[in-house]
Amino acid sequence: MKRTRACALAALLLPLSIMRAEAHPHVWVTLHSEILYSADGAMTGVRHAWTFDDMFSAYALQGIHHAKKGQYTREELASLAQLNVDSLKEYAYFTFARADGRKLKFSEPVDYWLEYRNPELVLHFTLPLKAPATAKSLQLEVYDPTIFVDFEFAKEKPVSLDGAPAQCLLTVDLPHQPTPAEQLKLSQLDVTPLDASSAYGEIFANKMLVKCP
Amino acid sequence: MTRAPNQHFTGRSVWMTLLAVALAISAVGVAQAAPFGAPSPSGGLVSQSGLVAWIFAQQAAFYRSLSGFIRASKDDGTAMWSLFGISFLYGVFHAVGPGHGKAVISSYLVANEETWRRGVILSFVSAAIQSVVAVIIVAIAAVLLGATAKAIGSTVHIVEIVSYVLVILIGLRLFYVKGRSFLIACRNWYEPAALAVAAAPSGHAGKIVFGPAANAFHCAHCDGDHAFHCHGEHDHDDHGHEHHASAWGHAHGPEPSELAGAGGWRRGLSAVIAVGLRPCSGAIIVLIFALAQDLFWTGVGATLIMGLGTAITVAAIATVAVSARQAASRIAKARSGIGMLAMRAIEVGASVLIVAFGALLLAGYMASEQLWMFTG
Repeated sequence: MKRTRACALAALLLPLSIMRAEAHPHVWVTLHSEILYSADGAMTGVRHAWTFDDMFSAYALQGIHHAKKGQYTREELASLAQLNVDSLKEYAYFTFARADGRKLKFSEPVDYWLEYRNPELVLHFTLPLKAPATAKSLQLEVYDPTIFVDFEFAKEKPVSLDGAPAQCLLTVDLPHQPTPAEQLKLSQLDVTPLDASSAYGEIFANKMLVKCP
Repeated sequence: MTRAPNQHFTGRSVWMTLLAVALAISAVGVAQAAPFGAPSPSGGLVSQSGLVAWIFAQQAAFYRSLSGFIRASKDDGTAMWSLFGISFLYGVFHAVGPGHGKAVISSYLVANEETWRRGVILSFVSAAIQSVVAVIIVAIAAVLLGATAKAIGSTVHIVEIVSYVLVILIGLRLFYVKGRSFLIACRNWYEPAALAVAAAPSGHAGKIVFGPAANAFHCAHCDGDHAFHCHGEHDHDDHGHEHHASAWGHAHGPEPSELAGAGGWRRGLSAVIAVGLRPCSGAIIVLIFALAQDLFWTGVGATLIMGLGTAITVAAIATVAVSARQAASRIAKARSGIGMLAMRAIEVGASVLIVAFGALLLAGYMASEQLWMFTG
């Protein structure tokens, strides 16, 4: 009886254990980010400019009415921009911030619009923090845990600070192939899961670090 | 244990069979290997990470170069041939990763004891359907109706849901049939032992768990219940050769001649249609990009050739799955009882995989290719 149950269980569970949830990137985003500070030196939010690759831009523009061929005005793109920010909410705007290790929350985006720089679409939006944050070490990451969207920093001046205290130092950490230590961490994820927002895609995230001693 | 008098297997044969089971299932699992070889309970994927990461990088590079070749082919006819070449390579590499129903097709082939030739043909048919569905969706929605990305995304979403539901139904049907075969094999496996226990001297009253009542409970009342088509299960004991239920028919396994018949093709086709219905996000994007360049037909050509590349990879993976199953089957034939049980277990496992894939895709757990990520 035990044997029957064991073989039935094994037959059921073995296949499930090999399942993985992955995707291929089909959207490429070139990232420009500006970290915003208030006059008293607290971080208040981040202003993103995301440039989509030409193929996804063409896809997003499909069926959008425009007066001149090859040109789209900000007004013609307003409803698409609205759709973008609405849709992005489900994915937490792919933006994850921590102040001294503590997770920060963002409010709904403001000042958002689309710009068409033939052949690419650029999505501008500002994500305000729910509460301004001051920290010795502030970390901001942009990534898609499912890798459907591939984010990469712009080659020139990918990140800047707007109004940060003078002593603050910005470093930008590019995504990389995992080191042996990270590889080990990845292989143990199932045994010791990290908290909900720490998908393994994070290791390949575009990291911005602001240190204010 | 109490079965010692009738033990017809050895420790070694058990391990051999387990190895075969693992081989067959990991062949199916290849389809789900993670890019970067990320977390896997077995840890085995990590060592493959170099190759998988390389393939992942290659397919991304091919995909990104597609737009340039499409643009170039506007003015330069020869660029079109480069585009087709790149599309083909992209299809081959892209299909190594997850998606495209490789896992479902492989599981289906394993569960149904299909031949490799049929596996290859079914792989090509499913890839062809997938390409054609992408072309039809874009032709109707974008070319004829001028629909927006949002509308196209929603259409793809609906088609996906239909596809996943069909996959679940096919998996459940297989699970029902294969689960029954498994229970029959299970009963046949310990029936001799049960008799031995029953015939053994008394004094172990509390331990007679292999008795007829227990069998009836575990083996789904096969005895005398002909509504379940359980007749003939004793064949296994005597000869140890393969007689088992087919997905769509009677309890006896399909004979080779039957497999080649029209009915056999019909059930294979239902699986590839279910899988192939779901178009690849990449194909939709490429088609719309080509359309925006007034090169729709070039996009159609690229999509079909991409499908050809995909088919080659899927067929290769399907062949591995079928070969693994055949290897397992050969080992199993050498050991009656446990071997038969292991083969039935593989089939049940494969059908569970199909249901699980369908359910997880439907639940959005595995469906990460969300074309509507930005466009609602």
